Amino acid sequence: MVYAGPLILGFVMGFILGTRIKTDPESKLKFTLGSYIVVLIVAVAMAYIIGPFPFYTDVPLAPGFVSAIAGLIIGKITFGR
Amino acid sequence: MSTILKIFAFPAALIIMCVGILTILGGHITPGGGFQGGAMIAGAFIFCVIVYGLRESPFKFSHDFLASMESAGALGFVLLGLAGLIFSGFYLYNVGTDLYNIVDPIIKNLFHYPDPTNAGILPYLNFVVGLKVLVGLSAVVIAFLGFNQLDEES
Repeated sequence: MVYAGPLILGFVMGFILGTRIKTDPESKLKFTLGSYIVVLIVAVAMAYIIGPFPFYTDVPLAPGFVSAIAGLIIGKITFGR
Repeated sequence: MSTILKIFAFPAALIIMCVGILTILGGHITPGGGFQGGAMIAGAFIFCVIVYGLRESPFKFSHDFLASMESAGALGFVLLGLAGLIFSGFYLYNVGTDLYNIVDPIIKNLFHYPDPTNAGILPYLNFVVGLKVLVGLSAVVIAFLGFNQLDEES
């Protein structure tokens, strides 16, 4: 069973931080959509390794961690321009 | 800073921020909480600012953002405390858990955090403390780097 608490709070916190990601278009380093997808894959793998923290009885990956990275990326896509 | 560090820092900062958020979310039942998680998130931001510099950092914490988040954190904490005072007569009473059965069930359900540990308002308090700490520590570093730039320009 997935509990809504960490999902919602993790997403909100991630979203707030994601809205502040504003990459400089004139910078030599480009973080494209592909780099965010790689970060997402790494984060999901990491959440699986962390396990069902902090309740230990729900889904096999940390739901707060996954919702936080989802919030970061969605915040970046919606407001972080 | 070297190019390798510049390629590594931003994705690593995103992951460190997620770990910080996870620390905040588990603060009511495991070691950690608002201060520690907020400090971890601020650490990720500081990592980016040191590697890319204040102007080129992908995380742009503007003055308005810092001020609004600091205010929201402080106000959230006070309002959660006042909710206890209004509904039970005790400041910061855990109205979401209500150990002494003195709060109306509707209010209890309103402040109840949806998790198996019956934590009440504690995760919300951790959340607002985390906001305050991340903004406070980030503001200190932004100020120091800003002063440094002013010194170099003058």
